[in-house]
Amino acid sequence: MLSLKLAIKNLLGAGLRTWLNVIALSFAFVLIIFYNGMIDGWNRQSKRDTIDWESGKGQFWHPEYDRYDPYTIEDSHAPLSREILEEIEKKNLAPVLVSQATAYPQGRSIGVTIFGIDPKQTILKLPTATLPASNGTDYAIIGKSMAESANLSVGDNLLIRWRDKNGTFDAREIQIASIFKCDVPIVDKGKIYIAIETLQEMLGMENEATLLVTGEGFEFRELNGWVFKDNDFLLADMEKIIQSKKVSGSILQALLLIIALIAIFDTQVLSIFRRQKEIGTYIALGLTRAQVVGIFTVEGAAHSLLAILLGSAYGIPLFLWLNRTGIAMGYAEDMEFDLPLAEVIYPYYSIRLIIITVIIVIITATIVSYMPARKISKMKPTEALKGKLQ
Amino acid sequence: MENSSIIKIEKLIKRFSVGKSEFTALNDLSLTVERGEFLGLVGPSGSGKTTLLNIIGSLDTPSQGKVTVIDQSIASLSHKQSAKLRNRHIGFIFQTYNLLPVYTVYENVEFALLLQKLSSSVRHKSVMDALEWVGLTDKVKSKPSMLSGGECQRVAIARSMVKRPEIVLADEPTANLDSKNSHHILQTMKDLNKELNTTFIFATHDEKVMKYLNRKISLEDGQIVKDEIIQHSKN
Repeated sequence: MLSLKLAIKNLLGAGLRTWLNVIALSFAFVLIIFYNGMIDGWNRQSKRDTIDWESGKGQFWHPEYDRYDPYTIEDSHAPLSREILEEIEKKNLAPVLVSQATAYPQGRSIGVTIFGIDPKQTILKLPTATLPASNGTDYAIIGKSMAESANLSVGDNLLIRWRDKNGTFDAREIQIASIFKCDVPIVDKGKIYIAIETLQEMLGMENEATLLVTGEGFEFRELNGWVFKDNDFLLADMEKIIQSKKVSGSILQALLLIIALIAIFDTQVLSIFRRQKEIGTYIALGLTRAQVVGIFTVEGAAHSLLAILLGSAYGIPLFLWLNRTGIAMGYAEDMEFDLPLAEVIYPYYSIRLIIITVIIVIITATIVSYMPARKISKMKPTEALKGKLQ
Repeated sequence: MENSSIIKIEKLIKRFSVGKSEFTALNDLSLTVERGEFLGLVGPSGSGKTTLLNIIGSLDTPSQGKVTVIDQSIASLSHKQSAKLRNRHIGFIFQTYNLLPVYTVYENVEFALLLQKLSSSVRHKSVMDALEWVGLTDKVKSKPSMLSGGECQRVAIARSMVKRPEIVLADEPTANLDSKNSHHILQTMKDLNKELNTTFIFATHDEKVMKYLNRKISLEDGQIVKDEIIQHSKN
């Protein structure tokens, strides 16, 4: 406690030199929290969006289905049992039938995946309610990114060709009923959503589905003939991508922290050489060398405490403001990322993140302060009292 | 108060390495100092005054010989023990005051007591008593940079005396002071010597100090060449 009190006094007494170091370190401290908070916020938002738009509370897959292997789609369908139909009726499950197809917008051909989905479902945020019932014309909804890449607008007709359950090619024109805006690329890019009954009829797979999305009300149990995939599985790839972004970001943070720590190290080295007389005086007054090393180490480490206080002074209002207003990212028109990227990201600052960052800053500042302070233990007090360089 | 020996030095030799050769700063020096003495070590630069003070103050160790301060052999003390000896029993006064620049007068004086883990009320009383001895109670909140040289040295005296040490070692305490301040400082120390029976040992070649001493030891080339008891007439 005495060391800390002395250290803070010495630091404040050192004036501008202290504050330059403290400002640099506080900047690193705030930036580390800001960056990680933004990544965590993005992570949470991406997960939430993906759950809301695509995965629900988990999915039951046909055993053959592999979303990364288009060749499995053809055989991944099974009839819906009475038990499942009852859950669908209660809106606890949303059946989805998946098929590969080719679309021909303005004479071009593009590979698409057609999702047949219940227009009455409420589990996913997909605006399936905007799908009109077939009246001789079949309707589809698509995402904004898909609409832009295929140059489609509401009311446009789109020719699609597919193979039914017997492998026979068939083709039909569908009309774009609405275009939705969604932050989740895998829901939008190359996807066409039509009523499940329409797709079942097109494929000759009446009352069949590829997967079942579960909703809040579904009481979990095994469904015979279906394999449950929880969100840990469904969101695993996204988690990995976000973690890799965190790692690459940490290099920048480490560099910034190192610059701040070098400034502290430099100050400590200079301080120990300039303040030899003071060191000698401490020893003459009865401090042991270890205590003097302690004072100088704590003094260097106290930079981190001041940096945390200063960083909190401008960081907390900044973070609160960002938390309220979010950080505008703009709409990812071309959806270059495979990650959901909302137009506004709301950073998330967890207690864990803040505590870990505080500990890192304090420990690293203490280490770089201790290294030069060790020299004190080798000083001759008689020479130190004269202020002679040793 | 009864006198008894507080420092015993027997055949002290102190050598320093200077490049590849050695320099003998103190050469076969023997000395006994009684409690309550007001003693001056005088002699030209390089005669060994400061070296002797440093060894008595356990800031340095003898190369040979035996130095006993308050019944403790300096050579056999660990770092911790010598720090304790300095903190409890020895006060230092330096030519350049060596005040801690970021602390106030009060905090500078209080510093030595902080290590003794006394309560803040006891510390406060001791600090104010010490500042009263040196006449600086009106400067408690001043920083050393706001004080004159004489005032700084009075703070240094208060700092050395606040813990009521048995020995005060003063290395050229008046060298940076004008005549008026020097006499003021010396009179203060003399008063404390009488009042508290503290042993004062000066390293000095300042003539102004001489008339306050009651013992003068002249050093030359690390040896005692003269040891005089000075009788002052009472006024």
